[in-house]
Amino acid sequence: MANPVPVIDDISLESLYADPYPSFQRLQRDAPVAFVRAAGINLVTRFDDIVQIERDFETFASSNPVSLMNRVMGHSLMRKDGEDHRLERKAIEPSFRPGVVRNHWAPRFRVIADDLIDQFDDHGATDLFGSFAAPMASLSLMEMLGLRDVSWQELAIWSQSLMDAVGNYGQDPEVIRRGQVASDGIDAAIEVVLPKLEASPDPSIISSMLQAEDKHSIAQIRANVKVIIGGGLNEPRDTILTTAYGLLSNPDQRACVMEDANLWSAAFEEAVRWISPIGMYPRRVTRDVVLGGMQLREGDQLGICVGAANRDESHFDRPDLFDILRPKQSHLGFGAGPHYCAGTWVARQMVGAIALPALFGRLKDLRLDEAAEVKLGGWVFRGPLSLPVRWSI
Amino acid sequence: MPKIIFVQPCGTRREVEATQGNSIMEAALKHGVTGITAECNGSAACATCHAYFEDDRLSQLGAIEAHEEDMLDFTASERLPVSRLSCQVTVTDAMDGMIVRLPESQ
Ligand code: HEM
Ligand code: FES
Repeated sequence: MANPVPVIDDISLESLYADPYPSFQRLQRDAPVAFVRAAGINLVTRFDDIVQIERDFETFASSNPVSLMNRVMGHSLMRKDGEDHRLERKAIEPSFRPGVVRNHWAPRFRVIADDLIDQFDDHGATDLFGSFAAPMASLSLMEMLGLRDVSWQELAIWSQSLMDAVGNYGQDPEVIRRGQVASDGIDAAIEVVLPKLEASPDPSIISSMLQAEDKHSIAQIRANVKVIIGGGLNEPRDTILTTAYGLLSNPDQRACVMEDANLWSAAFEEAVRWISPIGMYPRRVTRDVVLGGMQLREGDQLGICVGAANRDESHFDRPDLFDILRPKQSHLGFGAGPHYCAGTWVARQMVGAIALPALFGRLKDLRLDEAAEVKLGGWVFRGPLSLPVRWSI
Repeated sequence: MPKIIFVQPCGTRREVEATQGNSIMEAALKHGVTGITAECNGSAACATCHAYFEDDRLSQLGAIEAHEEDMLDFTASERLPVSRLSCQVTVTDAMDGMIVRLPESQ
C-alpha cells in the first residue's frame, strides 16, 4: 500500500529563503514527497523521483488551468504539453542551437563582457552583482531576443516584476500593477522591432518565431518573449556570481582552472549543480499515481525541487561541497524532459566560456572583499544577492 | 519486435527487443542499457544520447533535421559520419538486428 503524502508544518518560507538545504535534506530522508504547508505545494526532493516525473509528461503536466504565470504573461510554451509545446519549442530552436550560439552569439557576448570590465572603477573594488553579472545577462538576452532601444536596467526590472507577479500567491495589488507595467512595456518593445524583423530575418529569437513553419501569432510571441525575459536573465546572472563565489572561496580549485582553461565548463556545471539558480519548478498530477511510495491524487500540485535533487547523497559524493574536480555526472539544474532548458548552450557559452574567463583573466588578484559579507537568498530561485570583490591595479 | 544490439565501448553486447515507434534512446533506457544519458529525455537539446550506427544502414534511420545536425557537433565523444542522436531515430521493423555502438562518454 502506498502511503498518504505527509503534511509538514514546521518548515517556514523564511527558513527556505535563508538556506533551503537543511530542509531539503530532511525531506529527502524522511518524506521525499511532502505537502509543505507554508509553500502550499507538494515538494518532491529525490533525484530518481524527479527523473521518473520528467519521463512522463502525461501524468506530470506543465499545463495548469490555475496557473498564475498564464495570467501574468499569457500562455507560454513553459505551461504547455505535448504537440502544442513541441511546435512552439521547435519555432524558437534555431536561435538556441549550440553552433549558432558559438558562431553568432558568443562574439557578441564577448564584446559585452569586455565593455563591462572596461567600465569598472579604477580603485579596484566593485559589487559584481550590479556592475557585471546583471548587465552581462541582461544585455546578452536583449541581443538574443532582438529587442532594441531598451536599457539593461529596464529589461532587468521587467524580468523581476514578471517573476514577482508569477510568485504573487497573496495577490498583493502593487505586485500585480508592476507585473502589468512590465507586460505592457514588453508588448510595446516587441511592436517596435516586428516590422524590421519581418522584413529582414536574423538569428534573433523573435525573428525565429516569425520565420517558423508554424509562425507564432502575436499572442504567442508576447507570451514566449515574456517567459524568456522572466526565465533567461536571473539564471545566468546568478550562475556567474555563484561560480565566482565558489572559485574565490576555494583557492586550490581556482588555481586549477587558471592553469587549465578546459575546466571552466566543469566550474560552470558544478555551480549550477551546487546552488541551482532554479531550485524549484511546478508540475500538476493528471491521474492518481504512486511516486516514491506516496499516493498522489489527480490535481495535486507538485514542486519539483531540482535544487534538492542536485544535492541528493545517493547521487553525489559530499554534495554540499563546491568541487569542480568531481567526476563528470548529470545534474538536474537545467531540468529534464520536454521542457529541458532551451538556453542551456547559451548559458554554457555566456557564463562558462566568456564571462568568467574574462573576469578572472583580466582582474589581477581578484578576491572577495573581506570587509563585506556575501549573502545568498532564495529557494525557488537562488543565488548571491551581492558579491563585493577587490583586485589589484 | 525488431531486435537492436547495443555494443559498449569495451565490446560488451546487449540485444534488446525494441518497440516500433519508440526511439532508439527509449529502447536503451527501457532495458537499462548503460551509456546513454539522455538528460533532456528526447528533446534534441542535450546531446547526451549520442550513438554510432551501421554505415550501410544509415538510410534506414530517417533524415537528420537541422537542429540535430547542429547539436551533433557538440557531443562529448567525437562525431563520426555514422553519429546520430539516438532520441531522434525512430525504431522500425526494418531495423531488426541493427548494431548501435555507444560512445566513450556522453
Ligand atoms: C545557468 C542558467 C540557466 C539555468 C540553470 C536554467 C534552468 C532552466 C530550467 C530548470 C528550466 C525548466 C523549467 C521547467 O521545466 O518548468 C528551464 C527552461 C527554459 N529556459 Fe533556462 N536556464 C538557464 C538559462 C537560460 C537562458 C540564458 C535562457 C534564454 C536565453 C533560457 C531559456 C529557457 C526557456 C525558453 C525555457 C523553457 C523551455 C520549455 O518550456 O520548453 N534559460 N531553464
Ligand atoms: S536525449 Fe537529449 S538530445 Fe537526445
